[in-house]
Amino acid sequence: MLHRLPVSPGRIAAVLLPVLLLLALEQAVDSGAVRRALIPAPSDVWGELVYILQGGHLWAPLGKTLYLLAVAYGCASVLAIGLGLLMGRSRAVYNLFEPLVEVIRPLPKPALLPPLILFLGIGDTMKMTVVGLAVFFPVLINTVQGVRGVDPVLVETARTFGYSGGRIVSRVVLPAALPFIFTGLRIALGLGLILVVVAEMLAGTGGIGFLIVDMQRTFQVTSMYAWLVILAVLGFLLNLGFERLEARLMFWSRQSEGRA
Amino acid sequence: MQDGCTLALDGVTKSFSQGRPEEMMALADISLDVAAGEFLTVVGPSGCGKSTFLQIAAGLMEATGGAVALDGRPVDGPPGGLVYLFQQYTRSLLPWRTVIRNVEFAVEGRGRASRRERREFCMEFLEMVGLADFADRYPWQLSGGMQQRVAIARALAAEPRILLLDEPFSSVDALTRMELHDMILKLWEDRRFTALLVTHDVDEAVMLSDRIAVLSSRPSRIVETIETGLPRPRDRITTPELPRFLELRHYLLESLTKPKDHAA
Repeated sequence: MLHRLPVSPGRIAAVLLPVLLLLALEQAVDSGAVRRALIPAPSDVWGELVYILQGGHLWAPLGKTLYLLAVAYGCASVLAIGLGLLMGRSRAVYNLFEPLVEVIRPLPKPALLPPLILFLGIGDTMKMTVVGLAVFFPVLINTVQGVRGVDPVLVETARTFGYSGGRIVSRVVLPAALPFIFTGLRIALGLGLILVVVAEMLAGTGGIGFLIVDMQRTFQVTSMYAWLVILAVLGFLLNLGFERLEARLMFWSRQSEGRA
Repeated sequence: MQDGCTLALDGVTKSFSQGRPEEMMALADISLDVAAGEFLTVVGPSGCGKSTFLQIAAGLMEATGGAVALDGRPVDGPPGGLVYLFQQYTRSLLPWRTVIRNVEFAVEGRGRASRRERREFCMEFLEMVGLADFADRYPWQLSGGMQQRVAIARALAAEPRILLLDEPFSSVDALTRMELHDMILKLWEDRRFTALLVTHDVDEAVMLSDRIAVLSSRPSRIVETIETGLPRPRDRITTPELPRFLELRHYLLESLTKPKDHAA
């Protein structure tokens, strides 16, 4: 019977769909319906992928992109969580920064690339800055929200046990706000990846974003698509890894909410 | 184990939104002396400011007027030796910590030599409340009554000289409540801390206390204090059958329900 199948028909269809599309594309390219110069056959892209992987050409650009992302993401997240804790705990700090944050936050961060290039040139500093800006705000907003949402009973409990100031923040507020902070970190990771690629496309000398543009400019279309596939896989893996980590660390969050 | 300490409230008043049109007087001139080692219960109708009263006594909230002193020293923040047991146990336990780690939360500030020592010390308290087997579970895996027992174990692990109880038995079922009453009485008799309970449950007040203070509805003042004069140890079956128990119960229920016209 159908409902006893371990995999549902809907699931099978969902996996089959991209396979069918790839086969159709292969057919279309082979028959000449699609110009090979614009869209190469999937089998050609696969061949290029194998060449990139086997030849060890993956690591330098991937490393460059991940390095930029990691440094910017790490620094911006730490700063955002720090400021978020301050803004969430102190009315005065909140009132001081809130207007500034609300003005800069909605600005699409790629729009900052031209002025940033003006100030910082086209090196890594500029790229990290723009990625950092994209990462900073979602983490900040979620941290503030999470901190403000911490149950006052928890904080008062800690106070009656003699906790104060920094120890309340590190032992109670930060862990209690962590599910919110993680939501911000996950959104920021996606945005960070977008921004690092955009920055590399505009002003890069290495990295995956740069390669994609470079291949297009030099008519190495198959290679361009291969790098696009690599980028897609990278985004997928980063998100998957993050979700795993979040589920591992935040196991108590959904459970306790369900019972409260 | 140190003995319980005294708590003195002298002319304490509390207004919310002071100076604004919506100003509300919650407490009007509360004076109360809790003796060392005493079990005193404050009863009052719902919404009469019992929690406000207790939070001020604990130094968690500032009074508008008057003074609070613990062992003669003025209270201007949560003092050492005082532990507060909240009504909302699900909200006062840390969901990311296991049961034993929640109990350890009470003593982490005091620099016990090692992790293992701390754990062993705290296990004793979990044993007292009968939860040693649940040490490595998470609070949200336990029933309501068990969670409140964790909160009680944690409160006692801090070795309080005075324990403030904010309706801690009001959100569990009747049988669990009786068990928790027995437990708190036994622990109090063993350890002789001062206990200050607020509740709207008259039976609970009579069952547990040496003395009962009756709070009026807002703006609250203490209408009278009554010595229960019931023998200890209390028994969940025979104590409520004593004539004195019934007399107190009758009297308190009457005086708590009477001034309703004035409250509206």
